[in-house]
Amino acid sequence: MDDARARFEIVYRETYGRITAYTVRRCASPQDAADVVAETFAIAWRRIGELPDGEEAALWLYGVARKVLANHRRGEFRRQARNVRLDTEMADLYGASPDSGVELRAIAQIFQSLSDDDRELLSLVAWEGLDRQEIAVVLGLSRNAVRVRLHRARRRFARALAEADVRFTSESRLIPAERQL
Amino acid sequence: MRNIDDIDAITRGLARVEPGQPGGRPSDAGARTLLASITAEEPGPSAARPRGRRLRRPVLALAGAGLLAAGIVVGPSLLRSGVSPSYAVTRDSDGVVYVRVRDFRDAAGLSKQLKELDVPAVVDHAPAGTWCREPRGTHVQDIPAGLYSVPESIPGEESARGWQMRIDTKLFKPGQTFVWTIGEKATSTILMSGPVAPCVLVPDESHEPKEYTSDYRLATTKGRSLSGFRVDEKTVGEVLPELRRRGLKVTYVVMAIPPGNPGGYGELRTQDTVGDDWIVWEAEELIRDPRRVRLLVTDRRYDSNPVYGGPRDSLIEE
Repeated sequence: MDDARARFEIVYRETYGRITAYTVRRCASPQDAADVVAETFAIAWRRIGELPDGEEAALWLYGVARKVLANHRRGEFRRQARNVRLDTEMADLYGASPDSGVELRAIAQIFQSLSDDDRELLSLVAWEGLDRQEIAVVLGLSRNAVRVRLHRARRRFARALAEADVRFTSESRLIPAERQL
Repeated sequence: MRNIDDIDAITRGLARVEPGQPGGRPSDAGARTLLASITAEEPGPSAARPRGRRLRRPVLALAGAGLLAAGIVVGPSLLRSGVSPSYAVTRDSDGVVYVRVRDFRDAAGLSKQLKELDVPAVVDHAPAGTWCREPRGTHVQDIPAGLYSVPESIPGEESARGWQMRIDTKLFKPGQTFVWTIGEKATSTILMSGPVAPCVLVPDESHEPKEYTSDYRLATTKGRSLSGFRVDEKTVGEVLPELRRRGLKVTYVVMAIPPGNPGGYGELRTQDTVGDDWIVWEAEELIRDPRRVRLLVTDRRYDSNPVYGGPRDSLIEE
């Protein structure tokens, strides 16, 4: 029992930063993020026997967080007891968000118009910095399926950006289109 | 069309928490409160399962034992009929090779494909009633974890007889060879180092699954010595008092579990005593003397019952 607790605490310490970042990047509000983080780690504790060690633990937790998020969006959710400090800590992360200029908002809207699957693939690469093999583990897909789907997701995002006429310079600085989006 | 880097850069710009940066800190008050509230509850049921270093040893020991277990696992699927004559060997860019075997006679074909993909392997086919004369080379004892998986069904073809396995060619050391012998009813996969003698077929029945005429039978079912008492997934300490109460004489079969516990087991040895914390997966009684019972045990808990490849209830109705 104490073994389990010690093991869980190590995984918690090592993955908390990444799992909270993952969650905050995908939740609309700090309270939602706090709920998803709490439920994700609560599930990991209940399923400690399945929780892998080392780097695999973070991938496994990403997979759990992803499912918790999906349930959350569907309204199927175990509400956690409010942890006010956790809410505040999550809110701080929202405060530190990148500038939400007009151009970024335009891009964000286009990004939001992609399917959940496309968004998740693009985000796992660009936000969590995972490689294909790691994404394959998180999503329970083959590496090859990840490669193909990622290629298609990037193509769809590029096409949607092109259709919206959002241009950017060689430094990837985002420049909005002339017209209103 | 923008290139990949552009798209990823655009996506990165949308991240709320900057990519590469952690979100919250586990040392913050809210994070510590959360940890405390989660671990204040009892953990999940398999929490007692030992992890890490302790977990690896038996797996390696088993692999070193020559993968008898893989032969056992493959056996049943080879008994089914219906041939679609092909091998498929594919190699990832990171050196992982997937081998799919659907035909069990064309050893030369498989050998050739493996060679083309730089897998150091020797494949021989042993017709029914024969096997390659042993020993053929030095068995490697310290097989790296992850070198290969036990054979499993080909996805989408679960009912067919073929199987696939995964080999990580990066983990071969110089001079090592994978030696496969594909029989009619069993396959052995042994990692050897140094020269490997060619296969000389000799009469040999030992690699064929035997007609199962065990001296033992299930003890935990109606009318048997442990009728009404379930032993599966309990510890030895939990079941012993009831066995003593019923006046049964107990021995233990230490099970050999193949890597990944895909279902199925071998018998490592029989012992008169084991630790009270060992896990019991089933009990059998000697047919000619049902007062003598043997418990099928492992020294640690697995996430599914190896005897049944899952919970006993999924196979045995009470």
